[in-house]
Amino acid sequence: MTVPPLNPCRRALHHLHDFEKWVFVGLTLFLAGFALLQIILRNFFSTGFIWGDTLQRHLVLWISLLGAARATLEDKHIQVLLLPVLLPPRAARFLPYLSDGFSLAVSAILLYAAWIFVGNERAAGDLAFSGIPYWWLEFIFPVSFAMMTARFGFRLSGRLFGAKGGNP
Amino acid sequence: MTLLAVLGLLFLTLSGVPLFVVISAAALLCFRYLGTDLSVVIIEMYRLAANPMIVALFLFALAGYILAESKASRRLVRLSTALLGGAPGGLAVVALLSCALFTALTGASGVTIVALGGILFPALTADHYRENFSLGLLTTCGSLGLLFPPSLPLIVYGMVAEANISHLFLAGLLPGLFMMALLGAYSMYQGTRFQAPGSRFRFSLKELVGALNESKWEALLPVVVLGGIFSGYLVMSEAAAVTVFYVFLVEVVIHRELRIRDLSSVIVKTVMMVGGIIVILGASLAFNSFLIDQQVPDRIFEFIQSRIESKIGFLLLLNGFLLIVGSLLDVFSALIIVVPLIVPVAANYGVDLIHLGIIFLTNLQIGYSTPPIGMSLFIASLRFEKSILQLYVASLPFLCILLAVLAVITFVPSLSLWLVP
Repeated sequence: MTVPPLNPCRRALHHLHDFEKWVFVGLTLFLAGFALLQIILRNFFSTGFIWGDTLQRHLVLWISLLGAARATLEDKHIQVLLLPVLLPPRAARFLPYLSDGFSLAVSAILLYAAWIFVGNERAAGDLAFSGIPYWWLEFIFPVSFAMMTARFGFRLSGRLFGAKGGNP
Repeated sequence: MTLLAVLGLLFLTLSGVPLFVVISAAALLCFRYLGTDLSVVIIEMYRLAANPMIVALFLFALAGYILAESKASRRLVRLSTALLGGAPGGLAVVALLSCALFTALTGASGVTIVALGGILFPALTADHYRENFSLGLLTTCGSLGLLFPPSLPLIVYGMVAEANISHLFLAGLLPGLFMMALLGAYSMYQGTRFQAPGSRFRFSLKELVGALNESKWEALLPVVVLGGIFSGYLVMSEAAAVTVFYVFLVEVVIHRELRIRDLSSVIVKTVMMVGGIIVILGASLAFNSFLIDQQVPDRIFEFIQSRIESKIGFLLLLNGFLLIVGSLLDVFSALIIVVPLIVPVAANYGVDLIHLGIIFLTNLQIGYSTPPIGMSLFIASLRFEKSILQLYVASLPFLCILLAVLAVITFVPSLSLWLVP
């Protein structure tokens, strides 16, 4: 059985999802390794990086926000699916359109709010540690909300125009 | 207008809109109503990065996912069977013990019913336990163990309520053991009453030594986790990092049940789960700061106090409310949404913050298997291919026991607070 070749757009998306996976692996291994290094430094050498805790917390923030964007792709967000079960199928089939449309609108507004936030922080110019400005660490907000907006948008357009599973 | 917005958001919630989207929308609407810049919502979300517990939450979740993907559950069942399988009702007690340990380590995400139910249900049936007894036992066991460290819901409660998590870990021990003891006693009673003469299992020293040898690494895990935290050598996030390292060593290097390349999919599952919880937490931080700014918890307190004066009356009302919340929402969203509103109210009634945490978790645990829509009931119905109605009936006796335990936990605070310094 031959698998039909992916079109260039699908192939690019496929690579993007793979890249995203390795970003998660990289960030997670770095976080776990760095946490262990801190324990060893503190308990055996009575030293450590002062900014270590700040870095670890921001790493988890990055991982979590990107994880939420991935959960949007794989439809793994926590939700209460009561009406889709209770309503008669004819009425219930409109609910996914409503859900995706509303989620698209809210994540777009969050993207806008995050953009303003990072802009303000950049203007303030405060430094987090080792010369790294806070806004670099906070830039993950607009990035992840942009990913969520795009993914909700593609899911909705897939539903409306019948494209099968083309969620980036 | 406000009523319309509330009803609209409620409709969207029940329609399956992701919870974080609904709560973010509520926060955006509220700040818009106040005329504040919308970027305040993100400023509030960013407060997440100031909470050291998010590191512990993520790393404990990762350790749980690695364990769930390995064959640790099988070894756990073998060890408890070798220990207790021969006693009357022994296999049922085995189910209780293994499920509680497994849930404490992996979180109550339904994975216990799927991972352990598949092994334990055929074993219980083969050992002549009644079908409904076995079903009820495994359904309620799906969320048993939430009170034992390092359960993720305990950590989330500590994060949201700003309570000391080591104290919460200690506070959960006695109520958790009490719950296990009552369920164990009921199981042994049923075992002697209905089990056909002679269980298949006989105690064998050889089997016990074999099982111990096979599961010695996992059996040491609670010592690693708790020893690190309570010896004072490690803070919570460091204990979580050591747990990840230990679990990785045991499952990937020693048992070789998880290949390095499988690890990437385990990590993706973990980040999606934690990401899903963290964005709800972030959105709730924003929404709750509005509610607190508008003194909503104070108003709730005044409203309740004008009707209920006594602490006992308040606790009864709280239990009823939490049981309903627990059957509607999963434990994380329930904690994140409800805790900030209830903590100030409960403090006014003189309820201890740590005791309140144990009451919360016990309620939410029971809510998992409360009809009509507790999540464990649906997972069990799918896993064991039984009708949901049969599961309602099957879990009823266990629910009654758990409600009795809840009453004791609620009205005897010293059970929770005895071990807390």
